[in-house]
Amino acid sequence: MLGIGLYGLSVKKNAIRILFAIEIIVNAANLNFAAFTRYMNPPQVSGQVIVFYSIAAAAMEAAVGLALILVAFRLNSTIDVRRLNKLKG
Amino acid sequence: MVFCQLGGGCELPLISIPPDLTFIVLAAVTIIGSIMALQAKELIYGAVALAVSFIGIAGFFVFLDAPYLAMLQIAIYVGAIVVLILFTIMLVRREATDELTDRPERGEGAVGVWLAGLIAVAISGVAALAGPNLPAEPQPASLPISDLGPTLALQYPIPLIILALLMSAALLGAMALAKLEK
Repeated sequence: MLGIGLYGLSVKKNAIRILFAIEIIVNAANLNFAAFTRYMNPPQVSGQVIVFYSIAAAAMEAAVGLALILVAFRLNSTIDVRRLNKLKG
Repeated sequence: MVFCQLGGGCELPLISIPPDLTFIVLAAVTIIGSIMALQAKELIYGAVALAVSFIGIAGFFVFLDAPYLAMLQIAIYVGAIVVLILFTIMLVRREATDELTDRPERGEGAVGVWLAGLIAVAISGVAALAGPNLPAEPQPASLPISDLGPTLALQYPIPLIILALLMSAALLGAMALAKLEK
């Protein structure tokens, strides 16, 4: 899943697709935390706590990212990152 | 199922539990969902595929004795994030349906596939190397949900407070951004 996410991050041009890719990567990391904490000896919940924080952080990141996309769309009427190059010198 | 290793923790259940249909179905749902999310023609279908993938992850959490995380995953990812994404897609609909512009150019597509394959091979290799050293049997005692609260509040209080501050900051920032005038 990390690989799929990286593929999406590097290839896609639509800003919303890039956000999808980020979410997929975060989910892969969460799954790893949950899996490894399950196989700890003795079992611990700290991995689940980390996943808890991570889910909350990812939710906020998605909210801010989507707000940014909305603003970019309103100002430039496109969400194609190839055309969002106003800052380019 | 080359990507099976990429799901994270995939190799562990395969070692500990003899061929498990649940695991394979969950992995297939998750992987296919995430590929579809990035490759679907319509962005809306992509969002729905992303929701399917998140549900697959929630299934993995149940599988890993973390029912609380599964509930969080469904409530936050499937319930909130996907709905938020759908709203945004509808608000930028004219551009979102114009998916013809979203085909990767030739060189970039190859680079992406190579990157993904490289990561897949690397993670599979590490998992294969580490395989013999892993505890074969998971501890039978599952973790009670009631442990999670005290651990969260007593062992990690500072991150919790930082998280709360971050959350309010993110909310205010998102609202300020959305109200931004030209």
